[in-house]
Amino acid sequence: MQTFLQLSIIGISMGLIYSILACGLVLLRRATGLLNFAQGDLLMLGAYISFQFLVKMKWPMLPALVSSILVYALFGLFFMFAVFWPVRNSAWPQAALVCTIGASMILQEAVTLIWGSVPLTTKPFVSGTVSFGNLKLQNQYFLIMATGVFVILLIFVLFDKLYPGKLMQATAQDKYAARLIGIPIVMTIAFTYVLNNVIVGLAGYMVAPVFIITGSLSSLQYKAFAGAIIGGFGDLRGAVLGSLIVGLVESYSTYVTTIYKDAIVFLVLILVLIVRPQGIFGEKIADKA
Amino acid sequence: MRAFRSSRLARPLALIVLAIAFIVGMPRISSVYNIMVMDSAILYFIASLGISILLGMGGQLSFATASLMGFGAFMSALYSKNLGVPSALAIALATLSTAALALFLGLALLRLRGAYFTFATISFAYIATSIYNNYKPFTGGADGVINIPTLTIGQWSPGDLYGWFYVLMAVAVACFLLVERIRGSYFGRALASIRDNEIAAQTLGINVFATKVMAFTIAGALAGLAGALYAHFSTVVSQAQFTFDISVNMLLMVMIGGVDSTFGTFLGAILITMLPEWLRPLRNYMRLIYGVGIILLMVFMPYGLTGILRSALGKVRGKALSRKSDLQGGT
Repeated sequence: MQTFLQLSIIGISMGLIYSILACGLVLLRRATGLLNFAQGDLLMLGAYISFQFLVKMKWPMLPALVSSILVYALFGLFFMFAVFWPVRNSAWPQAALVCTIGASMILQEAVTLIWGSVPLTTKPFVSGTVSFGNLKLQNQYFLIMATGVFVILLIFVLFDKLYPGKLMQATAQDKYAARLIGIPIVMTIAFTYVLNNVIVGLAGYMVAPVFIITGSLSSLQYKAFAGAIIGGFGDLRGAVLGSLIVGLVESYSTYVTTIYKDAIVFLVLILVLIVRPQGIFGEKIADKA
Repeated sequence: MRAFRSSRLARPLALIVLAIAFIVGMPRISSVYNIMVMDSAILYFIASLGISILLGMGGQLSFATASLMGFGAFMSALYSKNLGVPSALAIALATLSTAALALFLGLALLRLRGAYFTFATISFAYIATSIYNNYKPFTGGADGVINIPTLTIGQWSPGDLYGWFYVLMAVAVACFLLVERIRGSYFGRALASIRDNEIAAQTLGINVFATKVMAFTIAGALAGLAGALYAHFSTVVSQAQFTFDISVNMLLMVMIGGVDSTFGTFLGAILITMLPEWLRPLRNYMRLIYGVGIILLMVFMPYGLTGILRSALGKVRGKALSRKSDLQGGT
């Protein structure tokens, strides 16, 4: 029972991290039709930047957080103009996707060149553990959960209630019509990229103390892909639900095996794809084949 | 297109001359080390031809190539080392086994379209990596399989790396001709129509699903063949050679040469394999260079080297060839 509780909490907090990545993926997909293969690398970069501010420069918590977010936002803008903008009208439809693969390689190499290949660590932002009987859990996991819930709620409110969300949705549905009614397309897309990078970077900021910071942090994105697909690409609720399922499946599968943990997650994904290819909620903007 | 019709004979002739010059000339000017690199470039070329069919002709982006290549390599090692099958037969059996795996995989995954299919192949690549890494009886785990018998046909064996060069070139040329043949066949055209517009292809009476599965199976067979050859070529295989990164590399080979050109894939395979050798001082920055290269490639020449060549030829002839309308619509 205690193991179950522990696995559940770890599963949910990882699921929330995947949710953030997946929400970012869905936002980008809806606004620009882009599948971002560098999503995990943006998270990794987020973790490295938190290391830079917190450990290297020894800034206190709050200024470090604020300046990290600023850096994430700027980098999101840069990412858009470097990776998406030049190929937005490319003759080959997959050009943008391939560009993000290139960006992923660049980011992987760049962090190794800047911060070295030795895995790095940061201290947990909240120290101590919570114990239920014999069971101990790092407080950091609860912080991750709180941040995850906060960010996801923020995205939902932004999308459903606020004006920028409506602009983003309109741009996603029909760029031409959106331009006709005076929506600043470029601004909207740029805002989407900035938002994506901020939430993903923040996720990296939060997981940095739990994981060691290495280039392999970027492989978290495959779980997020799995979550987004299980939920139905193009739907934020689906992305969150799917990612939580992935996190829990991954966590519970340690009952059976630790070696084939990843294999089990992807096996579940393939099963879902075969049984219900459109995911739990289906895709709003159909995949134009 | 009229200008091209007159060159219908000139192009194959030029290719044949180039191929002969390459086969005869390359071993004479290359050191042992270079020929080894060249051999592996040819192996990658054979596997990349599968991507060329799937992506170039069919518009389906798959990241399963390296995993299937690994399956072929481990199967061939299993047949020849543990079951004592003669190596040439083992290669054939491994190719068939990989094709069978690809068939089953295709039947399952190709029910998905576009990006979903791509993700599913990535999932497969990760499952495969995890199994190759941990299932010792089949793959030897992290240590890999060693002491795989080299290729022998009757009494004859390639012997050194130069011998291997001729063997691999022969296989590569055969595969090249096969792919070129497919391009012009009913199947190739059906595949191209699916790439350009799936719904239109369906209304023309093309069985979209079966055609895609067929393409995936052929791609799997080519990858399996390359993997099996690799197993006997190097006599040592381990999972590190069949990771996701290798699939990305092979994708690059296809794209750098030109996604719709078989010959371009050959250029790409040689370029991507040789680049780390040529740029040895920059070795530590290789992935960085690839990454920047990919983005520049996509921005300035989405159809790769052959695309550039083609548009240059078109300009010389005073004709702007609209490749764009030719190739649009793949997901």
